[in-house]
Amino acid sequence: MRELSYMEALREAMRQAMQKDDRVFLIGEDVGVYGGAFGVSAGLLDEFGPKRIIDTPISEAGIAGACIGAAVTGMRPIGEMQFSDFVVIAMEQLVMQGAKMRFMFGGKAEVPFVMRLAGGSGTGAAAQHSESLENWFVHVPGLKVVMPSSPYDAKGLLLAAIEDNNPIMFFENKVLYKTKGPVPEEMYTIPIGQSHVVREGKDLTVVATSVMVSRAQEAAEQLSQEGIELEIIDPRTLKPLDEKPIVESVIKTGKALIVHEAVKTGGFGGELAAVIMESEAFGYLDAPVKRLAGLDMPIPYNRNLEYHAVPQVENIVEETRKLVKGQY
Amino acid sequence: MAKEIIMPKFGFTQEESEILEWLKQDGDKVDKGDPIAVVSTDKISMEVEAPESGIVGGIRYKVGDVVPVTRIIAYVLQPGEKAPETDAVPAAPKSEATAAPAAEEKAAQPAAGATPAAPTTFSISPVAQRLAADLNIDASQISGTGRDGQVTKKDVEDFAASLSAGAGKVNATPSARRIAQEKGVDLHALSGSGPNGRIQAEDVSTARAGAAVQAAVAAVPSIGAVPGLKVLKEIPLVGMRRTIAQNMQRSMQQAPHMFLQVDVEMDAAEGLRKLANQNKVADAPKISVTALIVKAVAWALKQNPIINSQYTDEKIILYSDINIGVATALDNGLIVPVIHNADSKDLLEISRELGDLAQRARSNKLQPDNLSGGTFTISNLGMFGIDRFTAIINPPQSAILAVGKMNKVFVPDENDQPVLSRQVALTLSADHRVMDGSQAAKFLTDLKNSLLNLGEILK
Repeated sequence: MRELSYMEALREAMRQAMQKDDRVFLIGEDVGVYGGAFGVSAGLLDEFGPKRIIDTPISEAGIAGACIGAAVTGMRPIGEMQFSDFVVIAMEQLVMQGAKMRFMFGGKAEVPFVMRLAGGSGTGAAAQHSESLENWFVHVPGLKVVMPSSPYDAKGLLLAAIEDNNPIMFFENKVLYKTKGPVPEEMYTIPIGQSHVVREGKDLTVVATSVMVSRAQEAAEQLSQEGIELEIIDPRTLKPLDEKPIVESVIKTGKALIVHEAVKTGGFGGELAAVIMESEAFGYLDAPVKRLAGLDMPIPYNRNLEYHAVPQVENIVEETRKLVKGQY
Repeated sequence: MAKEIIMPKFGFTQEESEILEWLKQDGDKVDKGDPIAVVSTDKISMEVEAPESGIVGGIRYKVGDVVPVTRIIAYVLQPGEKAPETDAVPAAPKSEATAAPAAEEKAAQPAAGATPAAPTTFSISPVAQRLAADLNIDASQISGTGRDGQVTKKDVEDFAASLSAGAGKVNATPSARRIAQEKGVDLHALSGSGPNGRIQAEDVSTARAGAAVQAAVAAVPSIGAVPGLKVLKEIPLVGMRRTIAQNMQRSMQQAPHMFLQVDVEMDAAEGLRKLANQNKVADAPKISVTALIVKAVAWALKQNPIINSQYTDEKIILYSDINIGVATALDNGLIVPVIHNADSKDLLEISRELGDLAQRARSNKLQPDNLSGGTFTISNLGMFGIDRFTAIINPPQSAILAVGKMNKVFVPDENDQPVLSRQVALTLSADHRVMDGSQAAKFLTDLKNSLLNLGEILK
């Protein structure tokens, strides 16, 4: 199969969705002439024109409000937060309005928009441009939260998100944008709310999100040399969460390590750990469910400090070894 | 420099040894190579030798303590030297009269978690060391949070607090609890291999066979003598005695024994043996009755592999190796040296090996390999004048043969006339979980026939 980068896969998803459905449009800061802060929408302005690729002033609240308004009137907008950090400006629109409209209008209103957000650290962009804020939205009823970890998932999940009739927070990852992987040319969707067993193993279940999936895979390769076999599960959709494969995996392995980039305290790992412990898997746990996550601090500008602020391959290897050997 | 004396590792799988006796005390002079202490694995006792000449000092454990291998047990000092204190580890006393045997068991386990087990890297601050000693806590099981994993005062305090908070409770993972509940294992009787002695699934699985026994045996010392009775002597349940107690109790409780007996005419076999011994070359060993029986048993086991087996909860394992243990009485117990691959050895080899093993057993020189790997056991009490008896299966084996004294009896010949014959009673104890009566009977019949026609199997 041909390979595309994560970024190209996202672009192709948007292009195909816009070709197929006139109601789909893209709105955000620098998405048009500049092609997006990271180039995700490069070339789309030429193809679809300024009415469907809309550059906005610097107003995240405006972007979100426009998406919600357009969505309730029957359009299928894609908004872009060029850094996910900036979503704080749009919280009122997203949380107070977008997330609640269907509920408050008794199901008579649908709000089918996708908000794409570029998250994560690793680019030297410092504390205000490197956060991982996905779990804020997991906590809001009415929103779905999607987090692709590969080019294949990026395209399939974005197309599914555009087709979905609910507001979706679509967290992309800046470090992943240039990573490549096989992507089919035709349109395809990956169901929202379906976990993916990325790798099968017997010794420990790693539940990883976004860029941590590939780091966990790299760790698994190393550990495999030592005879430790990781099972890696990517939830892909944090909300709604497909719990079954995770629970089944933990029943099999007896041990779980959750890896995400967002800071540990109040992060999605806590939710996942609780899901595991409340499930049938509890009686099969042979060690505490452990979390490996970002440090409780803003992402530092210094590249060395930035590196150590979030989990890396070596951290996953070390943490896994301890868990498997019962030395947690 | 004070020279460390460490608890040696005698076998590949050995994790700890028990101190049976201190042959030297603090202040005693030793020469390099002098035995300093007698320690025991679960099977044999061995001597720990002085690594160099000097004065013994800093003895850290007392008799009865179970010490992880590689841990420092004492030092050899030069005149004027003092034993180092900073990394000293307070002993985990294996008190005979403790109310919490499980906790004591745990204290004797090798340290896990962030605390390195090797004494060379275990580090504790002086104040923490003193506090741990005051609280009678084995500091080596505490995970240090200080620099380079050093155990700090706060670590000791936290650990002590966790102990009192968890007093009477079991530290076990959910999985371990589930398995224990399903299998009816008492978690209180187990010691855990996880951090701070936490019991993990594997601990339950490996220990469940012996769990009930451990609980029972551990409980025995806590029961004192009957009030009003004069005590002659108390024999501590340590080393070999404890191992025998545990294994035999486990076997009787878990393996449903069935017993089958045959009386075997030994005239032909005895004739053959006498002939061989009369014609033997000068330095060849004498062939004993036991050797004959070992040879015949090996042959019969080969015809009946179900007897040469092991029971587990998931499956029955049949072995192609035929390793026959021969129970050997000692003054203070019982030991079972093993003739490996007895089926491929001839009578001379078996006799020579039996003699060698017996001598080693009496002089306490058996190596761990001499005692491991048995797949079947023979116990012969004939030399003690016993006519016939039933033996307890030696776990994890599936059967044991009890051999009685050779007696002269009159038996009817083909014309129903009395003929004097020498007979021996063989009693097979077999694990009914593994096999049924007919299979055990087939083995015993094959064994009998092989002894009746010994010449055939020796060809």
